[in-house]
Amino acid sequence: MTHESDNPTPFEKRTREVLEESTAKLDGRTLSRLTQARHAALARQATSARQWWRGWVPVGAAAAAAVLAVMFWVAPGRDAGSQLATTNGNGSALEDIDLLADGDAPDFVSDSEEVEFYEWASGEIES
Amino acid sequence: MTTSRALEQFLISVERRAFKIARLGLRNDDDALDAVQDAMMKLVQSYASRPAEEWPPLFYRILSNRVRDMQRRRTVRGRIMAWLPVRDGEDEEEYDPIAQAPSQDVTPARRLELDEAIGALETAISELPPRQQQAFLLRNFEGLDVSATASAMGCSEGSVKTHYFRALEALRGKLGEVF
Repeated sequence: MTHESDNPTPFEKRTREVLEESTAKLDGRTLSRLTQARHAALARQATSARQWWRGWVPVGAAAAAAVLAVMFWVAPGRDAGSQLATTNGNGSALEDIDLLADGDAPDFVSDSEEVEFYEWASGEIES
Repeated sequence: MTTSRALEQFLISVERRAFKIARLGLRNDDDALDAVQDAMMKLVQSYASRPAEEWPPLFYRILSNRVRDMQRRRTVRGRIMAWLPVRDGEDEEEYDPIAQAPSQDVTPARRLELDEAIGALETAISELPPRQQQAFLLRNFEGLDVSATASAMGCSEGSVKTHYFRALEALRGKLGEVF
């Protein structure tokens, strides 16, 4: 990228030499600040290289949210929760769960005699 | 060589000339150092992954833009400050002999000769129109070829050649006797 001059004139050579001399003449404070500037720039590069993945966190979160939104929007009745929604045409599964969890509810299966009673009652209804 | 190491080598290779170029445009050491630091930061942050051959024109383009921004800001600030009362000694800095000491030892006679030549050249360069100044410094001082200079200046190669030729003519006219 740099050019090793295509036949520079003596004037061009001289001006370049003088300018190069001027850089060799820079004072300690300037050189120190240039070094600090370089180190600061390189430190920033090292930091950004270590933390490159952080830039993808919002993208990943947005993608996950979009996938969930699509799942609930497109097929609301096909997930596991909604399969419990109706066990029969009269009520929801949540109502059944409330009934079973209720301490005051009748104990349908604790007594074998009551099971026999319900079988008899069922047979009477069908006949 | 790792990118980090290559970047460091590149910055070391250009930092002094970059400072001189910014200094010629801004005529103030602190502003020039700020411009160089900003250009280094921007290059490392945005273009570190680009091929190393592209770094010189990119770096000098960033630096040129930064210098131009600072020149514009200074012009605006100068117009505002012209309306405000002047406070004596506001910008004076305490003299630090160690900080101001030259980095290399040369004989007094040689030093005087160099200082005169440097002073005359820098004055002549700073009096050039900005585009000629840029073309001359990038081509002659930084050693970029026409293509890279055009990329750094954001213009065509033909324009670079024209600006450079006119800069040389102007400098010869001013420095012919000294150089």
